[in-house]
Amino acid sequence: MFKQITELSGNEWYLIVSLWIFLLFFIGVGIFLFRMRKDHIQYMKNRPMDDGEGHDEPFSI
Amino acid sequence: MQLTTFNYDNKIVRDFAIATIVWGIVGMSVGLLVAVQLIWPFMNFDLQYTTFGRIRPLHTNAVIFAFVGNAIFMGVYYSLQRLLKARMYSDVLSRIHFWGWQLIILAAALTLPLGLTTSHEYAELEWPIDVGLTIIWVVFGINMFGTIIKRRERHMYVAIWFYIATFVTVAVLHIVNSVQLPVSMWKSYYLYAGVQDALVQWWYGHNAVAFFLTTPYLGMMYYFLPKMANRPVYSYKLSILHFWSLIFIYIWAGPHHLLYTALPEWVQSLGVVFSIMLIAPSWGGMINGLLTLRGAWDKVRTDPTLKFMVVALTAYGMATFEGPMLSLKQVNAIAHFTDWIVAHVHVGALGWNGFMTFGILYWLVPRIYKTELYSKKLASVHFWIGTLGILFYAIPMYWAAVVQGLMWKEFTPEGVLKYPNFLATTLQIIPMHMLRAIGGTLYLAGALLMTYNLVKTMRQGRLLANEPAQAPELAPVVVNERAVHRRLERKPALFMVLALITILIGGMVQMMPTFMISSNVPTISSVLPYTALELQGRDLYIREGCVNCHSQTVRPFRSETARYGDYSMAGEYVYDHPFLWGSKRTGPDLHRIGGKYPNKWHFDHMLDPTITSPGSIMPAYPWLSEQLLDTTTTKAKLNAMRLLGVPYSDDEVNTGNLRLWQQAEAIAADLQEQGVAVRPDHEIVALIAYLQRLGTDIKNTGASASQSATNQ
Repeated sequence: MFKQITELSGNEWYLIVSLWIFLLFFIGVGIFLFRMRKDHIQYMKNRPMDDGEGHDEPFSI
Repeated sequence: MQLTTFNYDNKIVRDFAIATIVWGIVGMSVGLLVAVQLIWPFMNFDLQYTTFGRIRPLHTNAVIFAFVGNAIFMGVYYSLQRLLKARMYSDVLSRIHFWGWQLIILAAALTLPLGLTTSHEYAELEWPIDVGLTIIWVVFGINMFGTIIKRRERHMYVAIWFYIATFVTVAVLHIVNSVQLPVSMWKSYYLYAGVQDALVQWWYGHNAVAFFLTTPYLGMMYYFLPKMANRPVYSYKLSILHFWSLIFIYIWAGPHHLLYTALPEWVQSLGVVFSIMLIAPSWGGMINGLLTLRGAWDKVRTDPTLKFMVVALTAYGMATFEGPMLSLKQVNAIAHFTDWIVAHVHVGALGWNGFMTFGILYWLVPRIYKTELYSKKLASVHFWIGTLGILFYAIPMYWAAVVQGLMWKEFTPEGVLKYPNFLATTLQIIPMHMLRAIGGTLYLAGALLMTYNLVKTMRQGRLLANEPAQAPELAPVVVNERAVHRRLERKPALFMVLALITILIGGMVQMMPTFMISSNVPTISSVLPYTALELQGRDLYIREGCVNCHSQTVRPFRSETARYGDYSMAGEYVYDHPFLWGSKRTGPDLHRIGGKYPNKWHFDHMLDPTITSPGSIMPAYPWLSEQLLDTTTTKAKLNAMRLLGVPYSDDEVNTGNLRLWQQAEAIAADLQEQGVAVRPDHEIVALIAYLQRLGTDIKNTGASASQSATNQ
């Protein structure tokens, strides 16, 4: 598999640049995640449970 | 904070649910018919309108855009309103969206059997329908963003991010892949040709899977699974990571559909690397879904909706593991063009999309009808029949793929192909195709059972068309939120722009050099444009959907060059608007078919394939020998091609039909000598002209050896 990455007759830089773009993107998302507050995450997690129906009793089938 | 009262629109949800069920049955039934035709080709009832090449796209379009499409809108319209605590922005737009979408499906159901197709897989619809689709998609977008704007919930839940990414990416994919030059009301040519067209098509094709069959379903999973299990999603942080990495990586992976072709090597490698990386976000989503059920597995035993969701997630995990594995060149060399790909997509379609749709329907219909499900037991029976159906479908297809893939590559100790006759490898896997049809029948039977169950459920309840709800209006933001993503979750426009940039990066990096740097597509001087007759023949090839079973790209393997001839080069396709490389070899590759057999062989073969190939499962095309060739379009077609860059001279365009008749008469005279009485104005003559031209240009030069190093 590594041959597919390293033997590109001079076009390796397309791949290297692409991977760098992804790495930077991934780090950016990681920073997003670390800066999030726990109470906000807890609130957002529970969003589907509170849909404003006013009578959100569980229907069983 | 004062509460305001409003209503959720359940009627639109119900309408999309019914459309999902109806089109699902239609799409699956057509799928079963095409599966049976691969065993008994006469099951087209000798009609051109029901022949495999024409109705296989009908099956894929019906399942993807009609069944899955309506299911997406059902899920989005239900969950979006509740997550935003707002009724849909406009009831009128909701109705236009619903009826417009059904009209597009109907147009597809009428035009595809008529042979009106662009030939791009999953984008076969001709340009007027493409325009209609664009308008309806915009209507959906306005309705969705209008609802987001008037929301009563400040932050957008993860499901809504997936819906936004779906909307924006599908719009980009559809527009870029639909740049066509109309020749007439129902005929157009793609702007791109050959290698570039292939790259655009599979960038579209792969990401149609990503952003039509995957991201909206992930959004629905993040809403409906917690609702069904009555517990929040396992990890919200993981969902953020899942979302951004998935939409970023997915867009790069398209070239894995074109490994070992004339596509530049570096693009192929990019496709492979990003396909492997795709496992991480895909499995992140699956794990997040399955772990949401932690502590609720006892419910899975008794609740059919959860059973469907668990199998859906498992199928998603399997398909998203298998996809990257198939992208490895070593695996791809054997699996590509075989039934493995068919099995792979059906694990996704039947397991992931189908089962999640069924689970949501069973959960949602009783709720909007304010009743209980008619029969939980029938739902369980459906689950087991459907699961068996998937197994009966997939396992024989994997088996068939390995058997046929290896047979194609097997040599005798003397160094010649062990199975030089392609048909021998096809006949070997007919029993597996029979088992596949049984699997399809089981799956369809399950869907029919569900239909009965849901109709009874609807009858015993009553639709609550306007469901009352309460929520406080949004207060203005007074505190600036420090966390970047938290701020982003309340800014839909910015969110859409960022998602757009994210999905554009991959496509741009791959496409711009391929389009702008000429060394990526080296030309071959001996490759000339098609003659007028060959061009007409090519359009018949497209009309009959030959590309559904025959590829036109010989890969650089000994097993392929020994079977077909020289491997294909980028420069050979520069006048191919559109490219016709195909993605499945139910029959042999045709790129080097030109000059391989006499004209009479082709005439007999098209009239009845069993004359030349006893036991063949190819359908007969007798109408080609009966129907007259439409030459009124010749000039318009040549002009259109010239506008797209094909170097036809004024003389060639103006005397197009004259030249066409000269060539047709020569072929008819040759057939006459062989004892076949056919007039030159019949369609079969044009098709023969095209087939005899295929792959012959490089035989006129020594270019093949010198170009190969640059190309491959």
